[in-house]
Amino acid sequence: MANPDPTRSDGPLIANQYLVDASRTLPPVGGLAALGAVDQVSGRTDLMAIKLHRQLPPRPRAFQALAAPIEGLLTPLAYGPTGDACYAICLAPPGPSVLSRKRSWPEAELLDCVLRPAAHVLVHLQGRGMTHRGIRLDNVFQSAPGQPVVLGTAWAAPPAMAQPALFEPPYTAMCMPAGRGDGNIADDVYALGVLLLCLAIGHAPLAQLDDAAIIRRKLERGSYAALAGDVRLPPIIGDLVRGMLAEVPEHRPTPTLLLDPAAARERRVAARPPRRAQRPINLVGGDIWDARSLAYGLAVEPSQGMNALRSNVIEQWLRRGLGDAQLAARVEELVRHLPPSASDDGAALVMRVIAIIDPLAPLCWCGLALWPDGIGTALAVAQSGDPDAAAKLEDVVIRQEAGNWAALRADRCDFEALRVETRRQHSWLQQRGHGGGVTLLSYLLNPLLPCASPLLDGHWVARLTDLLPALEETAGRVDRRQTEPVDTHVAAFIAARLERRLDKELSVRTGGSAEAACLAQIRVLAQLQARLHPRPLPALAAWFGTRAEPVLATWRNRARRAGVEERLQAPMRTGYLSPMLLALEDPAGRSADAQEAREAAQQLARIDAELAQIAGGAQGRAATAARLGREVAAGFGLTALATVLAVAALG
Amino acid sequence: MAKPKTVSKPRTTRQPRQHSLIWLQGLLCGAVVTLATPTALLLGVLLGPALLAILLDREPGRPRARSIALCSMAASVDPLRTLWTAGHSMAAATALLGNVQVVGTTWSAAAGGWLLAEVAPIAVRAILEALSIARGARLRAERAKLVEAWGLEAPPDDQ
Repeated sequence: MANPDPTRSDGPLIANQYLVDASRTLPPVGGLAALGAVDQVSGRTDLMAIKLHRQLPPRPRAFQALAAPIEGLLTPLAYGPTGDACYAICLAPPGPSVLSRKRSWPEAELLDCVLRPAAHVLVHLQGRGMTHRGIRLDNVFQSAPGQPVVLGTAWAAPPAMAQPALFEPPYTAMCMPAGRGDGNIADDVYALGVLLLCLAIGHAPLAQLDDAAIIRRKLERGSYAALAGDVRLPPIIGDLVRGMLAEVPEHRPTPTLLLDPAAARERRVAARPPRRAQRPINLVGGDIWDARSLAYGLAVEPSQGMNALRSNVIEQWLRRGLGDAQLAARVEELVRHLPPSASDDGAALVMRVIAIIDPLAPLCWCGLALWPDGIGTALAVAQSGDPDAAAKLEDVVIRQEAGNWAALRADRCDFEALRVETRRQHSWLQQRGHGGGVTLLSYLLNPLLPCASPLLDGHWVARLTDLLPALEETAGRVDRRQTEPVDTHVAAFIAARLERRLDKELSVRTGGSAEAACLAQIRVLAQLQARLHPRPLPALAAWFGTRAEPVLATWRNRARRAGVEERLQAPMRTGYLSPMLLALEDPAGRSADAQEAREAAQQLARIDAELAQIAGGAQGRAATAARLGREVAAGFGLTALATVLAVAALG
Repeated sequence: MAKPKTVSKPRTTRQPRQHSLIWLQGLLCGAVVTLATPTALLLGVLLGPALLAILLDREPGRPRARSIALCSMAASVDPLRTLWTAGHSMAAATALLGNVQVVGTTWSAAAGGWLLAEVAPIAVRAILEALSIARGARLRAERAKLVEAWGLEAPPDDQ
């Protein structure tokens, strides 16, 4: 690794202070690339720049809640985009991760260097309403043996996304990685318990099993039994880890209690082991002996579960195999009152049955599992490459299933808050059309998600202030006639980020005419320019000028249209959109144009009628000519007679 | 039983008047023949083509016969005056009728009247067509100007 050079000045600059040193590559953090960084103000070089992933939005609250540093935690110092990348700056880890130590840690070091420092961090995080959700072997660092550990970053990506199933409670591990949600501090206590266990035995247990097998094992045996097995742990650590790996979050010791290991050790919560059935039920290719594993099986294989529910196999097993008549009666009642509909193929029934059988389980929908507070990040990730999952998540929001799920386990969550949030998300999703729907919902639920428009390729636009400069640059390289400046993503991004909603303007795009759409786009971006970027945007103005043909075509009089086109040239050159909008809209001119156009049309109709009359009047003219001709002949004869008579009379 | 023929009302009211007019004309002609035989003879020959035209022209108003009659009458004034100034005798009448120039002039006038009755409608029609063409051209020019200024639909084919 190259030595940091505090005097270097080349490379991306974050927050006008931190220089990203691309030549200094650091070990990746939770799957995200990390580079060295230099504080140009203080000259510090022990900094790290984590390159954020475009589809993995960072945790928005972390940048505010962790503004004040916490000892023993790598907190963010700054955050910002540079070109097409975005970096978060924090202190570099003080040393290698604890993963590098391949031997068992002594009990005293575990208590003094791991448990107490980590519990101290968790106490502070809990005080700020945050969780860590990234405690694992490769994200906990130690400068030297005997020194307190430092918890790594956990805010540069969705919470717990990089956590292996081993370090998560089974009910979080079964969720899609981006849908685990912020969780609560008890989940961090669980992960800390697993960390202590791994360090105590000198390796990670269950390394030979995949995630699904680990989850199943934890559910069948309980987490402590599944991980510790027959391993002999130091007595204090063994007692602590047993409590920290309790299945019910409320049974785990709080971080404050963990600061005093002796007190935490004495706190024993009598948790009943899962009830084991007398005979198994074969559901997902294996025997299931307990209710929690049954719920997991239903979550993983909902179609098989639906068939078993329809044929009452599950209800009978719960009643006769497991001996839980009360639970069987509830399931039977649910199946009777909620027959599978064609719209969801029984997904709602399976989701509810899972929530009844295992109230600790997350929301399970059509094979997806997630916690409701993780739906935003799950949606952002699914939208970028998993349309099937995105459709299922959209279904969850449309049907307000999170509220239904919460209603079945109201004692385990804040039902009212969740129901309000569910309705809010549903109302956002109702905004259909251009810049609405699931795209808008994704941007609303992820305040730091950058705009994913293909137009902004090469730009990291997470704030509205960055949008117009990026579009200005884009305007120079796209085919202006074929490309719209405001596509679906840009419209949704603006609608989500602007304080004043632009639903009316943006809805014009839906089913509206081309000229109305063009005017709506100019209007929206003109407002942004006036409020956020009062600098010229000549390329963007020229882009709109090129695409203004449908709007110009609505001016009926060609001379007037040419005049408007002429008036557009000046603002296009100077790069201001508001004057362009004024020239194109011009209500008084449009009214006069429409009135005169009506008169012209009427005049044209009159002319056409007269021309048709001329074309079809040959017969009439012939008749008139015959009549007149004879009159003329008679008149001529009469005149001749009169003249002759007069001449004769006179002489 | 055969249905009785329906007779239009105007015809039934006009027929007695026509009959009385014919009787009146016959009476007048009879009086002229009886009281002014030379004049009747002269006019009978000179206005012969007109009388023939009256018999042959079946068009309403008899436009050709009217034109021939008027022209013939105009040409007959001078021979008639000559007859009257020459004593209004049968000899003078026959002398005039024997003059080829007199009869030729009168009958040429009748021919001119016929020609006029034939040519005048054609000439009038030519004039009306010319006026229509000019008006159409003006309208088309005006239309093209409107179409050009307002971007209305394309002008129709020449009509």
